[in-house]
Amino acid sequence: MERESVCVLGGGSTKYGKLDDSISDITLQASVGAIESAGIEPKEIEAGYISNVFGVADKQVHLGPVVMSNLGISECPSLSIESACGSGSVSFREAFANVAAGFYDAVLVTGTEKVTHTGTDWTTTYFSYCSDFFYEGQAGASFPGLFASMARAYLNEFDATEEDLASVAVKNHENGVLNPKAHLRKKISIDDVMNSAVVASPLKLYDCCPFSDGASSVILCNEKFAKEHSKDYVKVIGSGRGGSPAALQGREQLTTIPSTKIAAAAAYKMAGITAKDIDFAEVHDCFTVAEVVDSEDLGFFEKGTGATAARNGETKLNGSISINPSGGLKSKGHPIGATGVGQVVEVFEQLTGKSGERTVNDAKIGLTQNFGATGASCAVHVFESV
Amino acid sequence: MQFTCLKVCKLSAKPEFIEAAKAGNVLARKCSKCGELHLATVYYCKKCGNKGFEDSILNGAGKVITYTIMTVPPAGFEELAPYAWVIMELDDSGIRVSGFLGKIPTPEDLPIGTSVKIIGFDERGIVLEKL
Repeated sequence: MERESVCVLGGGSTKYGKLDDSISDITLQASVGAIESAGIEPKEIEAGYISNVFGVADKQVHLGPVVMSNLGISECPSLSIESACGSGSVSFREAFANVAAGFYDAVLVTGTEKVTHTGTDWTTTYFSYCSDFFYEGQAGASFPGLFASMARAYLNEFDATEEDLASVAVKNHENGVLNPKAHLRKKISIDDVMNSAVVASPLKLYDCCPFSDGASSVILCNEKFAKEHSKDYVKVIGSGRGGSPAALQGREQLTTIPSTKIAAAAAYKMAGITAKDIDFAEVHDCFTVAEVVDSEDLGFFEKGTGATAARNGETKLNGSISINPSGGLKSKGHPIGATGVGQVVEVFEQLTGKSGERTVNDAKIGLTQNFGATGASCAVHVFESV
Repeated sequence: MQFTCLKVCKLSAKPEFIEAAKAGNVLARKCSKCGELHLATVYYCKKCGNKGFEDSILNGAGKVITYTIMTVPPAGFEELAPYAWVIMELDDSGIRVSGFLGKIPTPEDLPIGTSVKIIGFDERGIVLEKL
C-alpha cells in the first residue's frame, strides 16, 4: 500500500512542573500552542488524539470532546489513549497511521497529565497500577523499585558504577537548565546524586524523574497539507512499536527492554537508516538506568557500554550523539500522558531551528523513544528535517 | 520436578496460584505440545501458541536474580519498610517469580544468588524468606 508522507507541522507545550491550572485547561493551552505554531485554523483539524493516564485525579476523563469543544470544533471526532508512561508515543503512532493511510489530512495529537496536587503517596501507589500489578505493584514493587531491580542487574552484569548512572542525571540537568519549559532547571553534581536519599537501592532520589504536570501537542498532517501552510515542518520517516512481557520476571534478560529493540528495528527499517544515522535522540529516562539501557537497545552503543559512554560524556549536548537535549524526563519532567508527545515537540523545535541554547548542531535526523511501565510497551519514531 | 495434573486448566487461575504459594509452591503450566513452562496465569503457550497445559506444582525454593530494597514504600507496605522486592529463579525449573522479603535493611543482607524460598501469599503478594 502506498503511504502518505506524514509531517509534524507545529508543536506546543505548557511548562512542565507543578501547575495550578486544571487538566482540561493545560490540555487546551498546549493544543492552542500547536495550532498557532502550525499556522492553521482549528476547523482544519479532522480528528483529535488525546493521551492521558490519570485524568481521574483531576476529575476529568473523556478529555477529547472537552478540548474539541473549547477549540470551537465540537463536531470533530476525538479519543483518549492510555498506555501508561508511553501513552503519548502510542497516541502519536495511531495518529501517524491514520494520516499515513489517508483517512485524515491533518490531526491534533495532545498528551496531558496533572497529578502533583495528589501528593507523592497517591502517585507512587497509582503509578504502580501500570505494572503487572498481581506480580509487581501489589507485591510491593513501586516503579523506582522495578527500575532499581534492573539497575542492580546492570551493575552486577557489566563494568558500571552507581556514579556512571548518576552522570546521566547530571547531563540531563545540564540540558534542562537551557530549556525554559523544564520542570527541574538546576545544575547538579555527581555528589548531589550520590548523597540524595535512597528511594529503592541502588537508585537514589536524583536518579528518578519527578512527578510532573504538563501538556504537549503537535499537528500531524500529510505533506501536501504541510506545504500549503508552512515551510517549518519535519517529516516522520520511521515509526515502530513493540511489546515486552508485562512483568520483569517474564524476561530472559533484565538489562534490556525487548519492546524498544522491536520498535527501533521497525522504525529504522521504515526509514531506511541505521542507528548511526541518528543525530540526536529524546529517550525515555524515567530513571538514570533506563537511559543507559535505551542507548544500548536503540543501537547507539554496544550492550554493556552505555554507562561508560555516559560517564565519558558521549551523550552530552553535541557529544558523539546528543541524548535528551531537552533535559529528558529527568530534568524536563515527566507528565506521563504528555511525555511521548513532548519528545516530538522537542524534535520539531530542534529540526526547525527553534531550540535556542540547547540546539544540536547541524542536526538532520532525530529520534524519539517512549515506553510504558518497565517497557512493556514502546514506540520509536524517526524524523527528518526538510 | 513434581507434576500434578489437574483435569481442567482454568482461564483465570489466580486463586489456585495463590493457594499454591500459601503452601510454599508455584503453580505452573506445562505446554502439552512443546513442554514450555509458564506461570499458571498464562492461557496460551508463549512458544507454540497451544492452549493445552498440564498444571504442575513447583517447589518454591530458588535463588535471587535481582532485587531492590524499598525505602519509599507504596500503600500497604509502610510498616514493612525497608524491605526487599525480589525476582527469584526456581531451583528445579528455571522459572522466575517475584515476591517481597521483610527485614532486609541493606544490600549486603541479600546478595544476588542468595537462596530464598516462598513461605506464603498474604493479601499483597508472594512472601519470601532467606534460606
